[in-house]
Amino acid sequence: MLKWFQRVGRRGFLHMEAGFNAVFGPRLNPLYHLGALTFLFFWVVIASGIYLYIFFETSIEGAYDSVEYLTYEQWYLGGIMRSLHRYASDAMVLTMMLHLLREFTLDRYRGFRWFSWITGVPLIWLVFASGINGYWLVWDKLAQYVAVTTAEWIDWLPLFNEPMARNFLNEAAISSRFFSLLQFLHIGIPLFLLLLSWVHIKRISRPRVNPPRGLMVGTLASLVVLSLLAPAVSQGRANLDQVASVIQLDWFYLAVYPLFDIWSYGGVWILLGGITLLLALMPWLPRRRPEPVAVVDLDNCNGCGRCFADCPFGAVVMQPRTDSQPFAQEALVAADLCASCGICVGACPTASPFRRTSDLVPGVDLPQLTIREIREKTLAAAAKLSGDDRVIVYGCDFGADLGRLEERGVAVLALPCIAALPPSFLDFVITRKHVDGVFLTGCREGDCYYRLGIEWTQERIGGKRDPYLRKRVPRERIDMFWAGPDRSNQLAQKLDEFRGKLRELGPYTKPRSSHPEGDSRWNDKGVRNVTDRME
Amino acid sequence: MSLIEWNDEFSVGISAVDHEHRELIGLINELYANLSGGAPEITIVDFLGELYARISAHFALEEKIMRDRKYDQYEDHKADHERLLDEIRDIMDDYDDNESFSEEILGERLKSWFSDHFKTKDARFYKHLV
Repeated sequence: MLKWFQRVGRRGFLHMEAGFNAVFGPRLNPLYHLGALTFLFFWVVIASGIYLYIFFETSIEGAYDSVEYLTYEQWYLGGIMRSLHRYASDAMVLTMMLHLLREFTLDRYRGFRWFSWITGVPLIWLVFASGINGYWLVWDKLAQYVAVTTAEWIDWLPLFNEPMARNFLNEAAISSRFFSLLQFLHIGIPLFLLLLSWVHIKRISRPRVNPPRGLMVGTLASLVVLSLLAPAVSQGRANLDQVASVIQLDWFYLAVYPLFDIWSYGGVWILLGGITLLLALMPWLPRRRPEPVAVVDLDNCNGCGRCFADCPFGAVVMQPRTDSQPFAQEALVAADLCASCGICVGACPTASPFRRTSDLVPGVDLPQLTIREIREKTLAAAAKLSGDDRVIVYGCDFGADLGRLEERGVAVLALPCIAALPPSFLDFVITRKHVDGVFLTGCREGDCYYRLGIEWTQERIGGKRDPYLRKRVPRERIDMFWAGPDRSNQLAQKLDEFRGKLRELGPYTKPRSSHPEGDSRWNDKGVRNVTDRME
Repeated sequence: MSLIEWNDEFSVGISAVDHEHRELIGLINELYANLSGGAPEITIVDFLGELYARISAHFALEEKIMRDRKYDQYEDHKADHERLLDEIRDIMDDYDDNESFSEEILGERLKSWFSDHFKTKDARFYKHLV
């Protein structure tokens, strides 16, 4: 049942993502930046809110007029600010809900991710509370409707001695002090929202809280255009002596309000409470079967910190040495944070396939697929190949099905994440002529299941991030295509093209080494001149 | 006889780095002993592979220390490390491919490689620390 929902949802998202990829390209695909976009909208709401606050009057008589002044007298600035405040808030709900849905369909809410999921649940309430609270402040007919309905709804709970709705019996009953309280809440709740958002991303290392610049500029521009085309306006001054009649609802924030007409207040409480409880419990319904986490081997760890630098989940910490070796630090894996992605292994300098004398145990390793096993599987798979276009494809468990490629005469090896592969493997298989070329694939670019796997892989090969792939490894023998789960055909096609290129290249020949011929420091036997060395 | 003898003058004053330098010297000497004595079960290629991984890890640690201490010539030194790693890989492949590549030549190249790394760039960094 759960799996079915996820599968259907995943398919839906893949279609939408493909559409956006066609327009924006993977780097700027808004669906890959839903969390960051929500943050961006929040900043827009805060910035525009500060401006509105300057001109807003906190009184029953002044509130409506001050908002009208902002909207009409201060057009453009005030009016646009009000519209930005409204539309960015609406957009925030949209991206937040899509973010939740997408993480659910991708199964990114259980196991080590439970913390981020569960801290997201109260964020939903806080966003809605901020928005609904904001609608009161305008004090138009919609505000009146929302205020009365919400107050009666809250009164259903035995919280206050005096019913809150009594404030809205008539114009005389509502005090300006009550208005000040509303305004105070409209600052306090968003501040609390900000604090909890920070907690929400606390367990993620290098969280992406800002969308890429292009997406940011485009989003802001769209908000401004929308504000110009359809400015947010009030719906007539509130009058408590009359029941607010025909009003237009904001479906982003108030979608639940029509329910009040057909259900009891208690019923809506049960519905929303039930949904909240379900969301909060979801990481354990059922919980994800825990995988073995990365293991540090102190004999092979000198505390260089590369695993610490690359872990996308902050699961590796550097702590003072606990054994007798004279190093300052050692790596430690926090089991409850570890995603078992192996990206730390890909960063470890001792995870080298060139090693043979010691038992090929790296400083950090994944028990379910050790570096030693990756080496053995690589060699076994490559040994079956023949011809002058032998390719090994390294992929990941979340990308395209590699089995189909294997049938086409290439060696394949699926890893937990593509960045679990140390770059030295590429050096090893190419320069030792086990294959003619290496092809890397995995999730869609910009959408790595383990967040940073594709980025780190590209940077390591590009010599921008440790461990570098050696410069001497011919790059024309390496190709990548980030197929994701849905582009198997294109992957096969890219692979065919790559193999064609390899056939043209012919077999690998060693690059001219940095020594003998042509370098005066070396004599003809390859021995460095002694005098030179003594300098 | 050892190819390289540890000398107190080599000491740079950081125990972790001294320790790894000693270990690397030990590894090179062991390799050299195998070369001279003939090593039936362990091939030279494997030994070089081990040495290469150890040196990679050693450089990784040195680079971390440099970054932690905000060494102003970090970029230079890092580039030098990468060059030295390429060189070691050259030595490995040369040995692998070239039948005329004698053990003596290999020993000499390793020795000069090591002192090269040791006497030039490293010295500058550790002077910087004092």
